[in-house]
Amino acid sequence: MIRYGLMAALASFPAQAVAQSAPQLDARSAQGDLSVTIYNSGRSLISDTRQIDLTAGRQRIEFPDVSARIEPATATLSGSGIGIVEQNFDFDLLTPDKLMEKAVGRTITLLRTNPATGAETREQAKVLAANGGVVLQIGQRIEVLRDDGLPVRVIFDKVPENLRARPTLSVTVESTKAGTRPVGLSYLTQGLGWNADYVALFDRSAGKIDVQGWITLTNETGTTFDNANTLLVAGQVGEDNGGGYVPYRRPASPVRRAGTETSGRERLGDFYLYPLAQRTTIANRQTKQVSFLDVSGAPAKAGYEYRNGWLNGADTAESASSVLKFSTARGQGLGDALPAGTVRVYMKDARGAAQFVGENAIDHTPMGSDLAIATGRAFDVKVKPVVEKRERVNDVKWRTTMRYTLTNASPEPVTVDLIQSGLDWVWADTRIASETLKSERTSADGVRWTVPVPANGETAVSAVFETRN
Amino acid sequence: MLALLPLMLQAATVPIVTSDAPEAVAVTVYRDPNRGGGAITLSNLDGRALITETRTVDLPAGPAVLRFEGVADGIVPVSAIVTGLPGGTVEKNRDARLLSPAALVDGTLGRHVRVRWTDRHSGKAREEDARIVAGPADGVVLQTASGVMALRCSGLAEQPLYDAVPSGLSAKPTLSVRTMSPVAGRATVRLSYLADDFDWQAHYIGRVDEAAGTLDLFAWLTLANGNSISFAQAETMAVAGEVRQDRNAPTGAMPASAQALSLQCWPMGTTSDIAEQPPFAPDMIMPAPPMMMSAPIMVTARRNEERLQDVPMAVMIAQQENLGDLKLYRIPEPVTVAANSQKQVALLNRRNVPFETVYALLVQPARDAIPARAEIILRLQNRAKDGLGLPLPAGPIAMVAPRGDRDLRVGEGDVPDTAVGQEANLSIGRSAQVQGLLTTVGQDRWRYEVSNANPFAVTVEAVLAFGQRPLLGAAKRLPRRNGLPLWSVRVPANGRRSIDLAVPTPKDD
Repeated sequence: MIRYGLMAALASFPAQAVAQSAPQLDARSAQGDLSVTIYNSGRSLISDTRQIDLTAGRQRIEFPDVSARIEPATATLSGSGIGIVEQNFDFDLLTPDKLMEKAVGRTITLLRTNPATGAETREQAKVLAANGGVVLQIGQRIEVLRDDGLPVRVIFDKVPENLRARPTLSVTVESTKAGTRPVGLSYLTQGLGWNADYVALFDRSAGKIDVQGWITLTNETGTTFDNANTLLVAGQVGEDNGGGYVPYRRPASPVRRAGTETSGRERLGDFYLYPLAQRTTIANRQTKQVSFLDVSGAPAKAGYEYRNGWLNGADTAESASSVLKFSTARGQGLGDALPAGTVRVYMKDARGAAQFVGENAIDHTPMGSDLAIATGRAFDVKVKPVVEKRERVNDVKWRTTMRYTLTNASPEPVTVDLIQSGLDWVWADTRIASETLKSERTSADGVRWTVPVPANGETAVSAVFETRN
Repeated sequence: MLALLPLMLQAATVPIVTSDAPEAVAVTVYRDPNRGGGAITLSNLDGRALITETRTVDLPAGPAVLRFEGVADGIVPVSAIVTGLPGGTVEKNRDARLLSPAALVDGTLGRHVRVRWTDRHSGKAREEDARIVAGPADGVVLQTASGVMALRCSGLAEQPLYDAVPSGLSAKPTLSVRTMSPVAGRATVRLSYLADDFDWQAHYIGRVDEAAGTLDLFAWLTLANGNSISFAQAETMAVAGEVRQDRNAPTGAMPASAQALSLQCWPMGTTSDIAEQPPFAPDMIMPAPPMMMSAPIMVTARRNEERLQDVPMAVMIAQQENLGDLKLYRIPEPVTVAANSQKQVALLNRRNVPFETVYALLVQPARDAIPARAEIILRLQNRAKDGLGLPLPAGPIAMVAPRGDRDLRVGEGDVPDTAVGQEANLSIGRSAQVQGLLTTVGQDRWRYEVSNANPFAVTVEAVLAFGQRPLLGAAKRLPRRNGLPLWSVRVPANGRRSIDLAVPTPKDD
């Protein structure tokens, strides 16, 4: 039953680095052959095949060591020659309080210890009530348990039925034949989810990135899944939340153009599957990371973006966003689909040590997409928008003159994507009457100038907008 | 024992190698991107640091688990990067299951323990075999040879004794990696991770030489570490500029579960518990006010001895380099970033920087004619030919001016992130000596007058904010700044200047 870990065995060899000299107890769970399918949402499918000795006819099978956050309604049982009569999920936990409550009307044993002599006397008592205190009948007298404060051990004959140490799933089945056979239990559980974490090392002068992708599993189910065959599903699988409020999730989308390529990875319908190569133990309260992507030397470049709200001006110049641009296409990019997660970008400092320069979230990104990840704000690249003039042309028409001053204090020329948004504000219809640099209308709401700014220099862009209400 | 070993090796799990401390460490501190100006509060730091550690480990051939101890408590586990393992990283784990009384019961549930009863008078102990049938939630139930009982409900001195520690429990949340080495040997491993509970800030001191129209600009780099781990002799850096921090990103940092064992029994009420009247509520005892948080501040630079309150003369100044679009400040020598402490190193020091003092006023039509005090603006040109020409990371500035042998504080303000070539306008307070007053002199006609009570001439810049209405008269030819007309005027010592404004009301207003 109790196995001592290797460390205890090696404790006599001083040369080895010994983690702990305390004896270790290996907890063996009642779980069988486990397959775990983990979705991004934190709701996962557990398949647990156990060898169960069945007798012919109706009987109850108990499944201890299921996830403590099981959704009991999703549990299904399969096995040859068995039919399900009923399924129960018992939450009735065994506690001292419950033990006494269930003993009401029954006889218990009292073991009194004489505080002076230590002599023990044994008595039988009937529990009359356990409300606030325990009222007992001993022979012909009635007393309250430990009313005198003296030590009394209460001994119960047995653990009452239906009280369990842990929430337990029990299934009553009808078996056509006797014998040991595999019985599969599958259920959904909350508290087991995953996402991706990316480490991107950007070499600006070479225009390249090295990207490592890690799958991060998080187990908060209260249960350890031993030696599980693990499969991860990437993508948002539709879920019924019972008609509840679904918070609007602002899509943190650095995707500039969604790709059309298909990754060589295993797929199921619209979802990519990431099976783990080895069986693994997902311990309770553990965060586990396994590598799934390692690309080096993919082309990437630094960009800048500044977005100005409608009629916004600034007294002092504001820093433009630093953007890292790369592709997930085959050939000129990472060549893979990226599951949703966090991208952490690093760059080498003057001494060659990698330093963190910012992080951002990406959504599930198909292969072949163009990505632009904002990592922070540039110290040296700034934009100062000014509302030069706003005049009324007639009853329905306004003319607005905007001037944007872009400055670059860095010793390299840069290109800034300058975006003026808010052109579609309420009912207004806005067009550009004149501009000093050709713009590109990116949406009904926004217009973009691609502005080159020389090294240690500045560029000014002016535009006249005409708004018809 | 030796004969058993091969058997044990087969049966037992992967060997564990523990690295208890790094040999070398580098710390790069990032500012909290959402904190404005103001001082750093050591108890509430929202910046981050990148910690890069070098550790030496002896790895056996084949699979092994490498545990890292002594990492910062604020570690963002998902950001951990391990390089230098000859067999690479099979998986990285962060375990938050801690060894605690409740975890002992939980891990021993269904197994045998021994229960010891000790006689309070004779001290004689008696042990009995038992099995834990329930716990640790809401009490512990034991099965012994004599029957079922609850732990510590009898009033006797009793306690369970365990044979072993359940596997997978550790004293602190632990980061570990599984690796598979081709051969046994020593490896130098680099572990880097992001950690919360750090911050830094630039603190400027500007010492004004009124006569020369220059100031001496000095700045401290103040680092704060809110973790309980000290980084000794660390290569220390700070990064200026805004680094995006995704606050919603899952960090993998689960709160550690270290529970005390709360033993509960059945109802324990007795006859004497009957309350005859509601218990008298004693007066709230106010806790003594907590001691002022006195964070130790280490100053790693020597002050100039000649003058007690002069701008400090630093012997060690952080070196600035470019890191992509950010600015990195490197402390040239290894320093110790101690646990729960702040540290200051000189960030920059420039003498005789010319500046201009401008009194700024914003003119808006108002019902009441009340004079407004002018904002004192210190205008610096961040150019090499003007004595500066270096990036100025954001931070508060204190202006001091000498009077005899002491320095007086004459204003406070905030320096924004200022790039080279940019003009810095530092608002350091308001002056009662220079005021502006807008009065109505007729239909759509106004007069704006500025007064100067100083014994010297001042430059006043008044921005005329009359909305989008066109200005007529003398104001028609005014230059514009940020889209608004700007009246720039030199007001003589103890004098006044005024401008007449005609602002026609649009017909449909």
